[in-house]
Amino acid sequence: MIEVKDVTKKFGRKQVLKGVTFTAEKGEITCLIGINGVGKTTILNAIMALTPINSGQILIDGSAINKKSYEKITFIPDAITMLPQMTIGQSMQFMQDFYESWNQERATELLGFFKLKPEEKISSLSKGNTAKVNLLLGLALDVDYLLMDEPFSGIDIFSREQIANVFTSHLVEDRGVIITTHEINDIEHLIDQVVLLDDGVVVKAFNSEEVRENEGKSVVDVMREVYQQ
Amino acid sequence: MNRYLKLVNFELGRFMKIYIALIGITIVSQLAAVIISSKSYLNNANQAIHVDRMTIEAFVEQYGKMSFNNVTNSILFFGPIALCVVTLLIYTLFIWYRDWFGKNTFIYRLLMLPTARLNVYFAKATAIFLFVLGLIALQLVLLPVERLLLQKMVPVDLRLDMTINEMIRYFDQIGVMIPNSFIEFVLHYGIGFVAVFVIFTIIMLERCFRLKGIFLGIGYGVLAFIVFFLPVFIQEFILFNYFYPAEIFVLMILTGLIVGTGSIWVSNYLLTKKIRV
Amino acid sequence: MNVSFNKRDPVYIQVVRQFKERIATGTFEPGQEIPSRRELANQLKINPNTAQRAYKEMEEEGLIYTEGNNPSRITKDEHVLAAVRGELLEEAVDSFMTSIRRIQIPFDELVEVMKEKYQEQSGKEGGEIK
Repeated sequence: MIEVKDVTKKFGRKQVLKGVTFTAEKGEITCLIGINGVGKTTILNAIMALTPINSGQILIDGSAINKKSYEKITFIPDAITMLPQMTIGQSMQFMQDFYESWNQERATELLGFFKLKPEEKISSLSKGNTAKVNLLLGLALDVDYLLMDEPFSGIDIFSREQIANVFTSHLVEDRGVIITTHEINDIEHLIDQVVLLDDGVVVKAFNSEEVRENEGKSVVDVMREVYQQ
Repeated sequence: MNRYLKLVNFELGRFMKIYIALIGITIVSQLAAVIISSKSYLNNANQAIHVDRMTIEAFVEQYGKMSFNNVTNSILFFGPIALCVVTLLIYTLFIWYRDWFGKNTFIYRLLMLPTARLNVYFAKATAIFLFVLGLIALQLVLLPVERLLLQKMVPVDLRLDMTINEMIRYFDQIGVMIPNSFIEFVLHYGIGFVAVFVIFTIIMLERCFRLKGIFLGIGYGVLAFIVFFLPVFIQEFILFNYFYPAEIFVLMILTGLIVGTGSIWVSNYLLTKKIRV
Repeated sequence: MNVSFNKRDPVYIQVVRQFKERIATGTFEPGQEIPSRRELANQLKINPNTAQRAYKEMEEEGLIYTEGNNPSRITKDEHVLAAVRGELLEEAVDSFMTSIRRIQIPFDELVEVMKEKYQEQSGKEGGEIK
């Protein structure tokens, strides 16, 4: 379980996070939703210790992040984390060199799944293919938790479909996934938990199936209520 | 192979193209310097001896013998050295900044490696150090080759042969880099290493606190400078030649260690607690 | 299976309904093996936990059964199968009746129109009234 407890964060004078609290369970897909600039990416960065927080606490399975945690939790940012001059194959080699949790078999499978060629250079890839390589590098790690920042934004519809397929496949099975998005329509049926952020706090957190069952509302209905108040 | 060594290897690879270009430029340019200065000396000699009818002795008397100093004074000889020094100095900054800039943000990957972040820091410092050592080794190999070339081109009675050691001593810029003794080696490279750590720490401060960090960095640089040269300052301005030179040396090793470990400690703290992508 | 879900009903209930329709129409035969929860999630593009929930629900209703570690199968229980058909029919008629009551059509007239329509549609589909 990833626990984010009362986290605050300032950029200069701007208070971006004003006490964010939520949890994300293993085996579930948790979706952080909010309009752009609300600090979704900052939350993911903070979980990964890629940006300092001003106060609060973040725990992964009960303990603070340390160097070993990176074998257990990984982050797929919206930009690819490899050098442009590297090929896909070299990027995979890099991951294999540094991570014990790298699963070469799964990496090869993903390569086929996304129809990518290992000799292609990162700098020559289309936006959609760059996103897929980025995803591949994260998904091929045998980690318990996977964080993804806007995996669907700015790419073509077919790449989106392929990436959405990943979520329902064994590639994500039993992992805890946190994704951020400002666009829920495509993935409403894919996610378990929804965390709505506004003005630096969590305004509502709920299970999407439960809200359909108990209130007869779609995720978008709830968002409309929350954001249009 | 542990992750630190893998990182060193990776950092070396990232700069290898430019580094090999630097090596190529140095070799070509310095050999050209030997050839061109020898040629021009020989032209002068030919002119004087065959056209102006001077004796060889008179020519040597007037113009002096061709020595390696004629070569080292050429811009083609010290130009590439300057180019290498400047390039490596710039790369000392760029080795960090290149990971933050551009749309492919490699710093995410480096900070998310399952290893102490200080290893990334040490790997980059090691890479810089190896690049410097490599270029100096190149120069040490090139010098005898260049001397041989000079000897092949200029007849024995027109030239003044120098030992490698003399070649180095007469040329201050190389003298600094190729120390005479072990103590000098420790001193020069110790200062070099400490300087790299101080620069890295300033970069870390800037990367953590951005604009504010620049001022903090400058402050840190000044502080490091003062602490490191404290024995000298005390000697010059407070105690007036109180210490023997050997004592100053020991004290500076001490202050160097303080500045070095201090920089590493601060950098480690910043990398684990304050760094942001 | 290609299904589009509405966004306001729980997805697992919609999945169960799909299964019932397929059982009623015979697309799923009694005793037929059904996809694993992972395969189902992948086919329907839904969350695997939701697929799991749907299977749990169907297991409780006796629509499917699992023996040991084997894949789950559609029930062979005649009573359950008949009940599914009855349930769907009842649901359809209920919603039909609600609309009919609103426009107050006499029963006889209604039956006539229904017969005509049914024959017409079955004719188009090349079938006949069973």
